[in-house]
Amino acid sequence: MKLIISNISGVPIYEQIKQQVKSAIMSGDLQAEETLPSLRTLAKELKISVLTVTRAYTELEQEGFVKNIQGRGCFVLGRGSELLREQLICKIENNLWEAISAARVANLSEEELHHLLSILMEEERDE
Amino acid sequence: MNNYLEVRNLSKSFKGFQLHDITFTLPKGYIMGLIGPNGSGKTTIIKLILNMLKPTNGEVKILGFDHVANEQEAKRNLGVVFDSNYFSDEWKISQVEKSVSAFYENWNTQTFSEILEKFHIQPSKRVKELSKGMQMKLMLACAFSYDAKLLILDEPTSGLDPVSRDELLHILSEYIEDGEHSVLFSTHITGDLERAADYITYIRYGELFFSGGKDELIDGFRIVKGGREELSEELSKKILGIRNFSTGFEALVRTEDLKPFARLHVEPATMDDIVVFTSKRGELYE
Amino acid sequence: MNNIWKSAKLDFSLVKPYVKTICFTMILPLAFAAINRSLLTGISFAMCFIAMTTGYTFSITEKNSMERLYGILPIRKSDMVMGRYLYMMIMGFIALIVSLIAHPMILTLLGETVGVFDFINAAAVGIFLFALYTVFQLPGYYKLGSIKGRVFMYIPVAGFLVTLLLITKIPVGESKLLFTVIHSPVLLMLFVVIFAAAMYAASILVSIKILKNKEM
Repeated sequence: MKLIISNISGVPIYEQIKQQVKSAIMSGDLQAEETLPSLRTLAKELKISVLTVTRAYTELEQEGFVKNIQGRGCFVLGRGSELLREQLICKIENNLWEAISAARVANLSEEELHHLLSILMEEERDE
Repeated sequence: MNNYLEVRNLSKSFKGFQLHDITFTLPKGYIMGLIGPNGSGKTTIIKLILNMLKPTNGEVKILGFDHVANEQEAKRNLGVVFDSNYFSDEWKISQVEKSVSAFYENWNTQTFSEILEKFHIQPSKRVKELSKGMQMKLMLACAFSYDAKLLILDEPTSGLDPVSRDELLHILSEYIEDGEHSVLFSTHITGDLERAADYITYIRYGELFFSGGKDELIDGFRIVKGGREELSEELSKKILGIRNFSTGFEALVRTEDLKPFARLHVEPATMDDIVVFTSKRGELYE
Repeated sequence: MNNIWKSAKLDFSLVKPYVKTICFTMILPLAFAAINRSLLTGISFAMCFIAMTTGYTFSITEKNSMERLYGILPIRKSDMVMGRYLYMMIMGFIALIVSLIAHPMILTLLGETVGVFDFINAAAVGIFLFALYTVFQLPGYYKLGSIKGRVFMYIPVAGFLVTLLLITKIPVGESKLLFTVIHSPVLLMLFVVIFAAAMYAASILVSIKILKNKEM
């Protein structure tokens, strides 16, 4: 997994870590049961505060992406976990909302939109 | 014991300067930055902790030991780095070890020579032949050789080049990595602490302005920018510090007071911003 | 005791680079002894000179701001002070022994005879003078630092002059006690040692008190 911390993005560092861990899990870069780098080692390597990493990991745990086992490290929960599934569904919904509003602008009918989705699904199967 | 340093209601009066009721706690395993402009009382606090000055009031505990009643026990696990070295100029590095090691039961000669090698300090050199950065590393090497649990650094980066400052921060984050060591680091160069510090204690004119998590401090403030006509009297009241110029203003506000400023340009504050704007609030009424 | 010894050793390591200078100050009194053909003169000067070098530790620590090192070492302030007195007494003792060997040798070479009484007399006066100088000096250095503290060196000089003035006023015959002490080597030595010990005890207590209250 790679982590890139930007000092000028204006996004707090713990938020940057969270987002990048999340997308690594979603993209499959981080598999279930894999451990995240140790909190203190990560802080040392990124030259950031231990508390900042602690906050990122704690919030990831609260959101159901990882599980922190005292003394053993921070484990990634499977993509099948309920919460992660909810998060993914939420993401799909958001993207679909975007598609719907784009369809409205383009004057696309509901049928045409369904048709478009079927075509894309077929293409994905063929690949 | 989870708190490596506890400072409670510490006060000290000098002619023309007063340190007033300072309280903060540094837990085991973290780096705390002690910040504030020059003359705000950082060095006084450190000298009080070391029992080099007598407090008017208050108490200090180093690794659970009272710093006066149990001075020896308190100092056995304490390492200190000042802005300049405290060894005799004429000493060779090997003599530094000979003179200082006797006082620490758990001094490890092998560790000392390993660290010297790591820091590229030649044992045959005299203290006066070392650069400022090297002298700082020599003081660190001593503290690491008896495995000091708490490290106190007083303005260690003043007069150091950026490379040495970066090296120091790396050494410190390595030092606390195992979770068994803590660092109190005083500096007026807040950039040093922007990333690596876990906690910040901010002293302003001898008074405690803030002590807590660094992220809390930074999240607690925002910089707002706008044209001069956009600053109503209502808004002025919420401002902690401001810089006016011909084409507009820049000001520091608390994040909780941000709402009325929403139409203006808002950006996150750096530690420098917070110190600079809160240390010259007088300018607001100029 | 252990910490006192470590502290004394730290003081030795401070003056180590200046050992040559200190040795040089020991040669000059030899000349005084030779010119005056007197063991008493030589030893007196030697002990006064070595007493002056005790200021070295203070000026070296001041020059390097080493009060900060003393401030962080895990050692009691009283041990630090006693360590410095121990260092100083050892220096004095070495100077006394060296002088008591070197001076009679020179004098014998010059054809003088040095009697046992002369020897003990000179040793007693040497110890007395060294103690007199240092008991005032050290608290002075602790209180005022290595430059201003030097003023305290002149207290014994002034005291000495006053004593000399008084002594001429007292007819020796009337003070039998003084007479007996001065003319008995054993009593003289005993008197000097007890007197020195008492002065040192007082001086150490004062120095500890000064250092404990000192703000650095």
